[in-house]
Parts: sequence; structure tokens; C-alpha cells
Amino acid sequence: MELYFNRPMPHGGRLVERVLKDKKAAKKIVQACEKAGAVYDIKPTLHYKRGTPVRNVYREIMSVCYGFFSPVEGSMTSAELESVLSKRRLLSGWVFPYPILFDISKEDYQKLGVDAGDRLLLRLKGKPFAILDIEEVYEIDPAELADRTFGTPETNPEVVKEKFDDKHPGWVIYRSHQPIILAGKFTIINEPIFKPPFDRFWIPPRKCREIFDERGWRTAIAHQTRNVPHVGHEMLMKAAAFTGDVEPCHGILVNAIIGVKRRGDYPDEAILEAHDMVNKAGYIKPNRHLVSFTLWDMRYGNPLESLLHGIIRQNMGCTHHMFGRDHAAVGEYYDKFATQILWLKGIPSYGFDKPPTEVEGGLQIRPQNMREFWYCPKCKEMAYSENCGHDKEKQKLSGSLIRGLVAEGVQPPAIIMRPEVFKTIVKWWKKFNYPFVNEKYVQYKEETLEVDVPDID
Amino acid sequence: MEYILEVFLDDYRLAKLKGTPVEANIEAVFGGELKVVRVKVGEEVKNDILKAFETARIDSRACITDTPVAFKRALFEEIVNQKSLGEEVVKAVLANIDKIKELAAKEAEYLPAPEIETE
Repeated sequence: MELYFNRPMPHGGRLVERVLKDKKAAKKIVQACEKAGAVYDIKPTLHYKRGTPVRNVYREIMSVCYGFFSPVEGSMTSAELESVLSKRRLLSGWVFPYPILFDISKEDYQKLGVDAGDRLLLRLKGKPFAILDIEEVYEIDPAELADRTFGTPETNPEVVKEKFDDKHPGWVIYRSHQPIILAGKFTIINEPIFKPPFDRFWIPPRKCREIFDERGWRTAIAHQTRNVPHVGHEMLMKAAAFTGDVEPCHGILVNAIIGVKRRGDYPDEAILEAHDMVNKAGYIKPNRHLVSFTLWDMRYGNPLESLLHGIIRQNMGCTHHMFGRDHAAVGEYYDKFATQILWLKGIPSYGFDKPPTEVEGGLQIRPQNMREFWYCPKCKEMAYSENCGHDKEKQKLSGSLIRGLVAEGVQPPAIIMRPEVFKTIVKWWKKFNYPFVNEKYVQYKEETLEVDVPDID
Repeated sequence: MEYILEVFLDDYRLAKLKGTPVEANIEAVFGGELKVVRVKVGEEVKNDILKAFETARIDSRACITDTPVAFKRALFEEIVNQKSLGEEVVKAVLANIDKIKELAAKEAEYLPAPEIETE
């Protein structure tokens, strides 16, 4: 019997790293593309009805090129897209849940005049950023793409409860895609520079694995977040980390998803710093707790999103991943335990007749399915729902409950939110004049992004 | 199914409820550190609220959350007016939905931050 768990290999066998560091070579590429007129300024994806930003493809290019989405190397071809939509597998056979597409409008396509075999320079904030080596150009129907990406109650009866619509932010992202897809590999040729506070938490997979080595973390459990942590989250992290091999996990990797969010979520800056405050204030020792992020405009696809999370965190070197109820969910589209069903027994209609760790091309990261923590006035502690027998007395806490308190200017009691975490929320509240994501913040984020792009000279 | 609207009470609000029949329904939660009253509503009123406010959602406790502060203030005032925690207080608030939406639109731009040290 193996006593120790080894760090899993990257998904697909190797980390994708498509970042050109040679400035001279990059300049030559830029010149060649400019000469050929093959230059495209990245635009945000706008809501197909309202025109507000819902996605910026630069985040996907970053996540692909720095290896978070390994083994994906670029925008998917039509065959790969079909494979992902019908089987949740890449053409290579490796599991992958979502279409990754570089989409442009018909007008832009006509203006560009590029085709398969061409190289396209992608500019971000007006500066050279990446290239796309075009393998195929094809057209999609965004409405069909959105429906097939998430499924329907008829096609995925095990877990889909309601038809997806424009109240679902992930469905809206795919519905708002432009119809022309340029498929091919991305390469970053001019590395963006992260702005504070993002710069402190940018830990791509290779770097993350190095940090695990330095810290001596044989086992590490990933915590998915898109929220500031309340004490329930903290307890979830601490308790889930008791799994491991012969001893509890050596480390907890908090990996926040940074990108366009729902109105009412917390600003990205507050999420990262608030999680960091958990270790700075000593609620979890800093040498066992690491805060990081992935760039991704969240699709809120519950079990599908959990697959992407598993892939990202396996690539980062985690041995375990905690999954709670309503994982990466919004509304009542999915069964509340859809993610846990997937990782416990599979969801055949999504291509998993077994858990994703047991199928061919599957993942190696181990799921740690958790229920919830509530405050028990009888136990006088934050209690685990499956342990605490005081069902009648339980007091459930939720992010929404705390948001309600925050909005009314009531400081949440320390028993449900650490005062240091609340102070961090207020710090960013003062900066943005608002505690949560609103239209103004979404516009601000789209204009400024998380990065600046340096001159290539 | 029953859904819940929670109204948290600070000292000012507690004073307003003192001596009313609602006072007996004040609950202390989280180790006594928070005081709250709860209004229960049915499916129809829940749907009206979700329709009225884009941010509104149902949390894991079947509570309707993320409604605008203006809505919560109006709800509290109506509880004081009617001295009741029945569904009728919510219906009365929803009768003035346009005014609340107007206030909510302003509050979507700006909410004053609490005056606490953050450094």
C-alpha cells in the first residue's frame, strides 16, 4: 500500500508554456505581422442584449499560455469544439469541459482578410501582446453554442434542473460570442505586467510547483473562491485540509477566479487581499496557506466549472481539491450537489459514466467533497453539518447574509467574519465607493484590466 | 415552499420595535451577537421580489438576499407601521416598487463606507 500521495503530473502530461521571452524575436514577429496588416486589437465581449462587458478573451489567452488550462494550447478548431461539446474531451482524449474560442465579428474578419496559415498579432491596450497562428476559420451559432455548452434539463437530466437563459452569466458569455472563430495556438510575445494587488498573487503553475517544493508541500488542497472569506470558508479550508495522506495536507492553495463577475460579488482586489488576511492575521499559518488567482471570466457551470477547477489546480500541483455544495453555481439551474455527484459517481450525459478521476484522459487530483459549516449555539462553535446533531438550533451563514449586513453598514460579528477581513473589504469599498461589484466597477475593470502592457522596444 | 426575508436590527431599530407585538419575535443569532426578525413569504411574492431586483437571490437557507438597502429599509418601516411580520408587509412595500427602484438605482452607484480604520 502506498502511504504517500505524490504530486500529480500536469493534466495532459506536460505544462503548456507558450510565452516568448526573446524580445528580439518578438519584435521581428510584430514587424512581420504589421507589414502583412494582420493586427487585431482585442475587444471585450459585450452582453448580446445590454452591451455591457461580460468577458475579455485576454484572460483566456493568459490562462492558456501560462499553463493553467494545460493541455489546451489555443483557440479550438471546429472538430475540437465538437468533441468538447459532445464528450467534454479534447481531440487528444484529455478531459476538458468548456469551449475556448477566439471569436471576432464578421465585419472584423472581412477587414482583417486573414485565413488558415496566417499569423495574427493580437494587441492589448494598443500594445503587442500575443500572436494567434491560425489553423482554421469557421462560423458558430452563439445561441446553439451557449445551449450546448451547459446542456438542458432534457439532455442532462441527472443534474440540470432549469433551462439556461440570460440570467445565467456563463450562458450569456457564450451567447455573446462573435460568430467567426479563429482557431489556432496562442503565444504571448510581450508579457503583461500585473498591477497591485494582483502582482503579489500571480503564481502560474510552474512557479506554483516550485513554491510547493520550497515549502516542502508534498500534499496541497485547493480552495476555489470568488468570494471574500467568512469564518465558514475558513473552517471549510481548515477541516478539508485534514485530509491528506499519512498526515493532513501540508498546504492550502487558495485560487481565486479573477474576471468579470456578477453584480453583488466583491471586487477582485478585496477577494485576494481578504484571503491573504486570513494568513496575515494568523487564522491559518502563512507557511500553510498560499493565495493565488487564475484569470477567467467565470462561467458558473457548477459540475463543468469544477472540472476546469480540477484541471487548473492539478496543473498548479495540488493533490486534493475541496468541493462544497453549489460549487461555482448561480441560481437554481443545477442540482445543488451536481459537482459532488460528478466527482463521486460521474454524470453520463456529460461524458462521465465514472468519476473524472477514473475515466481515460481524466484527472489525478483527488476530490474532497464537503458539506457545510454552520454556527451551533449549543456547541458554541462553527460546526460541521454532518457532525453537529443540533439540527433545530443550527444557524446557517452564507455569503449573501454577510453581504446584506455589509450593505447596511453593519459590521458582521467576529464569529462569522474576522474583523481583519471586514477591514479589507472596507479598504476597497473606500477606493471604489461601493462594497460590491456594480456597473461602474465592471466598466472600470474593463478599461484598466488587471495588467499593463509594456512597450516592446 | 416558504421563503424568508431577514431584517437585522441595530439599536435604533430595536427601539422602534419596543412594545410592539413584533418584539416577541426578535431572535438573537450567532452567539447573541446579532438580532433579527424574519418575514416569511410564499412562492408568488418571492417571484415578485426576484423579478423586481436583478441582484436578488435565494441562499442556502431559503432566505431572499441581496435585495437593495432601500427595499430593506422600506420593509422595516412597513413592519413598524403594520406591527406585523406577515406577508402583507412585503406586499405593501412592493406596491411602491417604482419609488424603491429609483432609490435602489442611486444606491447601485454609491454606498457610504463605514468610518473604520483600514490600515
